[in-house]
Amino acid sequence: MTTAILEARGLTKSYGYKMVVDHLDLSCRPGTVLGLLGPNGAGKTTTLRMLYGFVPPDAGSIHYAGKPFDQARAEAKRSIGVCTQEDSLDYDFTVAQNLLIYASYFRPRVDDLEGRVAELLDRFALAEYADASPHVLSGGFVRRLLIARSIVHRPSILFLDEPTTGLDPSARLDVWELIDSMRTEGLAIVLTTHYMDEAERLSNELLVIHEGRSVAHGEPHRVIDTLLGDHVIVVPRSEPAREEIAAWLQARGAEQVATVLGELRVPVTKEHLVELTARFTEATWQVRPPNLDDLFIALARRNGRFE
Amino acid sequence: MSGLRSLTAVADWQSWAVLRRNALVFLRNWRTAVIPPAMEPVIFFVAFGIGFGGYIEDLDYRGVDINYATYVAAGLIAYTGFGTPYYEALYSAYVRMFYQKTWDGLLATQVELPSVVWGEILWGAVRGMVNISIVSSVIAVFDLLGIVDVKIQFLVFMPFLGFVAGCAFASFALIFTAIVPAIDHMNYPVFLIGWPLSLVSNTFFPVEPQSPALRALMQVNPVYQLAECARGLLVLGNPGSHLIGLLGTTALFLIPCTLLSVRLTRRRVLGD
Repeated sequence: MTTAILEARGLTKSYGYKMVVDHLDLSCRPGTVLGLLGPNGAGKTTTLRMLYGFVPPDAGSIHYAGKPFDQARAEAKRSIGVCTQEDSLDYDFTVAQNLLIYASYFRPRVDDLEGRVAELLDRFALAEYADASPHVLSGGFVRRLLIARSIVHRPSILFLDEPTTGLDPSARLDVWELIDSMRTEGLAIVLTTHYMDEAERLSNELLVIHEGRSVAHGEPHRVIDTLLGDHVIVVPRSEPAREEIAAWLQARGAEQVATVLGELRVPVTKEHLVELTARFTEATWQVRPPNLDDLFIALARRNGRFE
Repeated sequence: MSGLRSLTAVADWQSWAVLRRNALVFLRNWRTAVIPPAMEPVIFFVAFGIGFGGYIEDLDYRGVDINYATYVAAGLIAYTGFGTPYYEALYSAYVRMFYQKTWDGLLATQVELPSVVWGEILWGAVRGMVNISIVSSVIAVFDLLGIVDVKIQFLVFMPFLGFVAGCAFASFALIFTAIVPAIDHMNYPVFLIGWPLSLVSNTFFPVEPQSPALRALMQVNPVYQLAECARGLLVLGNPGSHLIGLLGTTALFLIPCTLLSVRLTRRRVLGD
């Protein structure tokens, strides 16, 4: 197995009396995407800020390419690309100048910078806007420019913080393609997202954080299996026996009964599904595999954020 | 990061990269960035020095009789040297930090927070140099027209004096930039600190307080030291003790204000 570019162990951070990140371990290898997931307030942003070097951890260690971050900070930051969720483009410059000026914030300097900028403009389909202000770009192209800018210095690891938030479906797919191609080229990518399909499709590994702690870690389907089980039944709001089904499942230990727009969603085991089918012969429901939406809802319910 | 590291960051390439970034933006918009703000002291000079000065008798400056326009000419150097970096570090830095998210973009690179702060301090001081150069040019023209009587060769030193003091003024302003909740709250540092400091520092009129405490307070005011240093050079060709005073008060402001600015901006921008 390839050596991890990023290795963090026991990351801990508190603000006042509140422990925001609690002994978190994570790692990311070249050519892989680590999906960082969790409901709002789970500690994802604080984790990222520690990994960027914005805030120091209270405890734990961060290593980039085997070197301690706090001892080889400049070298580590040279190898990191950061694409923040917020648009931090420099609107005083053109699209091409944004790449050029951003590259000037790194040492050693970027080899063949002009060539690198031309390559990125071409690859991210930004060449026709090279001399235009970023103001003329659509949301999808702003995001392309932000990602292009974050890799202009040829980093080894890229942090993408909710890269498709606010984009239309077509622009999202374009960004997915770019992420996939960067991974194929060997870039290590840490991705945070609220879109479950995005995390499932793009991530090689998922790390689910809840209240600052890791609650599941591994390949996406294994994470879902671990936290939710085999199936989810979806009972429509028009089903008269809906309440009875919910009560029946809860009596058998189903804790994660969620109601979404009147629709009942319950993760169940194979055994419960067989019993349910025998017990409610007249009722109508759907059975589907669990997805990360279910996981988020389950975690948010645990946290009292979803009723 | 230690306080010493925050201070030595001025020598890091990252601080100068931030300065370069701001300078490039300025050069792109130089017509709008230079002419209107630099015209303000020129208008003040015409209104107060020439207009209002016509009704005022000559003043005694360290044993030399000078007209009011000559007195105000040096005051305007100090007024510009204070106001330009102070307002640049208040408003423009706030816009870059809060609205444009320029600082967020910088901090996602190898540029560290002390360098962002130093970049803003240096840039404020450079802007002060630019505007003082314009004001000095206008003073030179009025000297040639016989409206003021200054030692014209010393005008060339004015932008450099302004740069030194400008670092102190910009670092002072960045404290407010880091703590004001919204841009409207800039009125407090502008009207409660900026205006009094720029007006009551021997800029437009001599201030001679009787109280020893007030006199001591004036001595630690870098705007006063800048005004007197500029006036000493332009009228007598000798800044006297005010050059040392300017360097001392600059250091007195710059070191603690920079440390505090870094601390406060760290809390605001990085949440640490």
